[in-house]
Amino acid sequence: MSTLTTNAEAVTETPDLEILARPPQVLNNRDPKWVTGAVCSIVEGKTPLWWWIGFTIAATFAGIGGACILYMIVTGVGVWGSNSPCFWAWDITNFIFWVSMAHAGSMISALLFLTRQRWSISIARVSEAMTVFAIMCAGVYPAIHIGRVWFVWFLFPIPNNYGMWPNFSSPLLWDVFAVTSYLTVSSLFWFAGMIPDLSVLRDRATTKIRRFCYGIVSLGWLGTARQWRHYEMMYVLLAGITSVLVVTVTTIVSSDCATSVIPGWHATIFPFYFMVGAVYSGCATVLTLLIPLRLAYPQLKELITASHLDKVCKLLLFMGSCVAYVYVMELFNAWYSGNAFERGAFWERFNGLAAWYPITCLSINLIVPQLFWFKKIRHCLPVVFVLAILCNVGMWFERFMIVTTSLIHDFLPSSWHIFHASIVDILTATGTVGIFFTLFLLFIRFVPVINMSELKATLPDSQPGHAAEEGHGLKS
Amino acid sequence: MSHHLSISEGHHLPVAGSKEEALYAIGARFESSDDIVKAAAKLQKEGFSCYESYTPYPVHGLAQVMRLPKSILSFLVLGGGISAILIALSMELIPTGLIYPLMVDGKPTNFSALPQFIPIVVALTLMISAVTAVAGMILLGGMPLFNNPMFAWDLFERGASRSFFIAIEAHDPKFTTASVTELLHDLGGLDVTAIHLEASDKE
Repeated sequence: MSTLTTNAEAVTETPDLEILARPPQVLNNRDPKWVTGAVCSIVEGKTPLWWWIGFTIAATFAGIGGACILYMIVTGVGVWGSNSPCFWAWDITNFIFWVSMAHAGSMISALLFLTRQRWSISIARVSEAMTVFAIMCAGVYPAIHIGRVWFVWFLFPIPNNYGMWPNFSSPLLWDVFAVTSYLTVSSLFWFAGMIPDLSVLRDRATTKIRRFCYGIVSLGWLGTARQWRHYEMMYVLLAGITSVLVVTVTTIVSSDCATSVIPGWHATIFPFYFMVGAVYSGCATVLTLLIPLRLAYPQLKELITASHLDKVCKLLLFMGSCVAYVYVMELFNAWYSGNAFERGAFWERFNGLAAWYPITCLSINLIVPQLFWFKKIRHCLPVVFVLAILCNVGMWFERFMIVTTSLIHDFLPSSWHIFHASIVDILTATGTVGIFFTLFLLFIRFVPVINMSELKATLPDSQPGHAAEEGHGLKS
Repeated sequence: MSHHLSISEGHHLPVAGSKEEALYAIGARFESSDDIVKAAAKLQKEGFSCYESYTPYPVHGLAQVMRLPKSILSFLVLGGGISAILIALSMELIPTGLIYPLMVDGKPTNFSALPQFIPIVVALTLMISAVTAVAGMILLGGMPLFNNPMFAWDLFERGASRSFFIAIEAHDPKFTTASVTELLHDLGGLDVTAIHLEASDKE
């Protein structure tokens, strides 16, 4: 009884508003007009020198990657290091790495939107851009790794005279559909969410060409009450659809491995394994992109606040811990299965020809995300930036470990054979990184990097009845 | 709001567009989302039916006071999703089971092997639903539309996406230039302007 009274008294007396109040979505009580100016100025301002330097470097790598792909097509897949018994190597590793990374973007923009995590609004556009570009990078590999690229149309169910018809029970074909639908849905989600913002750029355009181009892409958006009604419904529906994709795409990609009979792949834990790793590496990429972006455009520091980045770090920590759990469970399952081949696969993974892949992977992914328990580390952005890159390195090694270590120790010990990456492998991989950053830099220059309309609707200035009040709620 | 006193005559109304062309609407700008909700509520009460509000972000409560029904988009998407399931299943089962049965590892190819056909059904359902959602939003919202009579109004053209506007269209049964002008002023509308169509040879 007495505690109840004291609690009640405490509440009526002096509630600590500072603690109760949510961290502001935008710092310094900015109004909608300021938000518009801050975001549009990135697109409208003069192209900075660093942008040209970054773009040249990224585009050069992308070009070299493109040349390597061309060389591979005209010569054959023999220019890659993949060979018997390791028929899949960097191609599938990079495919899984990129397509997985995309998932954090969908999770941030869709799942967190549906669960009303308002902080995700500021970073959703960048995360979605990351998703779309990462899927594009992933899409480089499946088509070319088949060897004879000109037969890629065999993958699609096109009625034809040869009686060629895709095998719908193959996970490799599921992949085709999963990745195609993922790219389509995430691009649509990204574009549709951008229409109102593109119309802002159209209205602010000073030159005829700009006005024409933004006029075309904003489709004649006017922001009428009718349009907003349909738009908001669409946004919720697309968020729902995209949230399902977060789970299904990695599940299908993991089936590429899990439905085979290779020890080390044949595991029911794989869909979850791939998904948590996916969101983990994607969160790391979001941090890798946002921290320099805020540095380049200081006005964004008020929109993408330290508190937002802190939350991404916490998400990364959570997913990183899930990854650690899966590593342990995978080893436990191998032991508990009692299957000699399964146990052998894991023994060879850590003691065999390529023990340094899993050791690199585990030492990074088990330690680095756990550092984010410390607030001091989460708030020191240069450290976060370096750790986030390390997380992605760790994740790349995880994908590489999964794909290759199971393959190089196949059923015939006499054919065990270490994989060596060729120069074409390496330059193609760096080429995809180049493609990713080229697209991202173009994105910064031509499209608002923050969803302005959604953000403006959350500002204190935009809340109903705000004008009648003296201040802006708890903040003042 | 009270510093804008009503003007009883609409004759000094600024004109946008070409004077020789027909009057399209009378528009006004509002300072805040609250003002525009109040104005829309009043217009609805007065019995106007052909008016439109323009806002830079979704203003909650506006659709309700304008008595706009719930968007039918969700039903369209449901339809898109169900047809996608049917399309995907027929695409997989008709050829695989009937036309070109493809035997792999002795696995069944007909309906009894349904689970192996599900991943593609899921992927296609999500894809077609998303396409329906976006196409539906664009078409239901009257887009794509690359010109609009409202763009004759300079202030609107520069600020459509950053300010709050209401335009009462001339074909509304209750429309008279004088009464609408006065009403918009009374509601606290700023920059009340008569928007005429532009000469057809101009953009």
